[in-house]
Amino acid sequence: MKASRSILAVLLATSFSSVALAADVVKIAITGPFSGGSAPMGVSMRDGVKLAVFQINQRGGIVVGGKKMKVELVERDDEGKNDRGALIAQEISSMGDISAVIGTVNTGVAVMGDKYYVEKGIVKIITPAAGSASMTQWSKAGVKDLPIFRFASHDGIQAQMVVEKALRLGFTKVAILHDATNYGVSGRDDLIAQINKQGNKLKAVAVEKFAIGDKDMTGQLIKAKAAGAQAILIWGIGPELAAVASGKDKLGFKVPMIGGWTLSMSNFIDTAGASGNGALMPQTFIEDESIARAKPFIQAYHKAYNVSRIPSPVSAAQGYDAALLLAEAIHEAGSTSPAKIKVSLENLKVTVKGAISDWKKPWTKWNPLNVETHEAFRRATTVMGKVQNGHVILANPSEKFVLEGATTN
Amino acid sequence: MDAKYLALAQMAVGGGLMGMAYALVAYGFQLTYAAGKAVNFGQGELVMLGAFAGISLSGIGLPYWATVLGAMVAGAALGWCIERVAVRLALQQRNEGWILLTIIVGLFSLSLVENIWGRDDRPYPTPWPAEALDFFGISVTWPELAIAAGALGIMTLVELAKRYTMVGIAVQAVSADPDAAELCGIRSRSAISLSWMVSGVAAAFAGTVIGPVTTVGPTMAAALTLKAFSVAVVAGLDSGFGLVLAGIALGVAENLSGYVLGSGWREAPGLILLILALSLRPQGVFGKKIIRKV
Repeated sequence: MKASRSILAVLLATSFSSVALAADVVKIAITGPFSGGSAPMGVSMRDGVKLAVFQINQRGGIVVGGKKMKVELVERDDEGKNDRGALIAQEISSMGDISAVIGTVNTGVAVMGDKYYVEKGIVKIITPAAGSASMTQWSKAGVKDLPIFRFASHDGIQAQMVVEKALRLGFTKVAILHDATNYGVSGRDDLIAQINKQGNKLKAVAVEKFAIGDKDMTGQLIKAKAAGAQAILIWGIGPELAAVASGKDKLGFKVPMIGGWTLSMSNFIDTAGASGNGALMPQTFIEDESIARAKPFIQAYHKAYNVSRIPSPVSAAQGYDAALLLAEAIHEAGSTSPAKIKVSLENLKVTVKGAISDWKKPWTKWNPLNVETHEAFRRATTVMGKVQNGHVILANPSEKFVLEGATTN
Repeated sequence: MDAKYLALAQMAVGGGLMGMAYALVAYGFQLTYAAGKAVNFGQGELVMLGAFAGISLSGIGLPYWATVLGAMVAGAALGWCIERVAVRLALQQRNEGWILLTIIVGLFSLSLVENIWGRDDRPYPTPWPAEALDFFGISVTWPELAIAAGALGIMTLVELAKRYTMVGIAVQAVSADPDAAELCGIRSRSAISLSWMVSGVAAAFAGTVIGPVTTVGPTMAAALTLKAFSVAVVAGLDSGFGLVLAGIALGVAENLSGYVLGSGWREAPGLILLILALSLRPQGVFGKKIIRKV
């Protein structure tokens, strides 16, 4: 009896103290695939956010209404699965004390789950999911007031760059390969739309799909080869991209792969090995310490997580910068209320110096007729990267100035 | 050759080589069924465990052949364990609990692997040259050839051992009639135990030759078990080399239908083959009809 009473006392005391603590913290959720085929992106994004939060907390936290508040993180692994992502969105949006969410790698997860955040008005910064559908779904629905922001170079920009690159390399016939997920299918549509937009100078001689988990891509590649494709434009994630690269090698089909930024994922680069060399993809960040702006972040990440290579540098840097922007918005809002944070994200006053760029008012008031209002990246802030011996380097070294860039927008 | 037929031939050859992998996994079913009339529904997980054992050994710097040997030893131990903990008691009590138990052991190994090695697919390093070989315009990679050679090699070895060694003949005796074998002084329990160990060796070996082609991950088992089981059922659970033919047929059919009808139809022919085989020749295409005398 005595023991149980003292246990009760301890329980009461701790529960009160956590209530007292809860009032002094800002709660932010991180969601993404921390396991499975998309894990390099999810884990890097999460670790980028955590690094920013660690640095913020080390300085005492975010100043909210004259009071310093520490940031507390809630993490959820959606495994890249749409249904799981939707459940997590439901859970987080009903927690009641979450100020904002950062995350989502898989476009399908955003499509399935973000409605719960919109219903409750919870702020979410999508990074690094790039599929167009995660923002266009809201313009199609004509939502007037949107708490969802994107912090990634979306597929519209990426498809534009991929088609530009193919044209600049002098190709006229290409094959489009894509996976059967929301991401792959919307990537295919973006590519076809871009080919159209850029004057139909490219001809898609073969359009082939593959499923997540496919290891043998010979069938699709034989068709592309037979149709005389000079390059493969591709939208998929790491493991299947690697299967395409090795299938290409097997058939002696020596054409370049140009595709979405997922070609920079470590599980593509490592699994494909030498056959992945030369793959080209849009990047917002390159893990290159000779870029002065990127160096402190790269070194801090390597040190914090004891690695010599970030699994997905773009995801990590975007997660980091997104967290800095969110912290600034919470400070400017002077409140942890999602509604106020949303307004201040749309009207950021201070330029935030990040690992990717100096972010000067990256978002503006949501206009359903123009998704760009809630998109932070533009064509001018994205460069082309290239896989070379296990690393992603700048495809065109003269583009380095973009990554050093002083201001964005 | 016309480019169109060449493409079909390429798909067929690739499928056939992968079919040998199905046959190799199916062989594991056959070994344990012959001796103890039970199969391991977690055979695919054994393949996966073998592959992960091999990868871990290669992670500490061992050469490929040593990782294969190490994986085979681990496979033998695992096969023995499964028989001991999941199958023996159920069979002694003459119930079908072993079906559930082997599935449970498989699921358990899946969680184990996910917790130890993570959920990601990883490449299996091999010493084979990276370039593909060219046979009359058909490309074949070294890892694919290794699957074929490995499958045929290990099956030949085991079949020879079954026919020409004392132990092998003893196992066959148990397989024919355990009671009569006991009367002749053969310990049927040991014979069954041995066949599970050999089955484990075959599975782990399969993991080390399939891994370089498909990459190694916790989910590699799921598709393999089902396909290998189809092959075993189609070929019949007592025909040695019928498995190879059924495996090749399934692999070729899969690849051709994926190519001709579209990649979404890849899995269809395997299932149709299975249904046809079960309705037309339930004892297996190459199986012997057993006449039970009362």
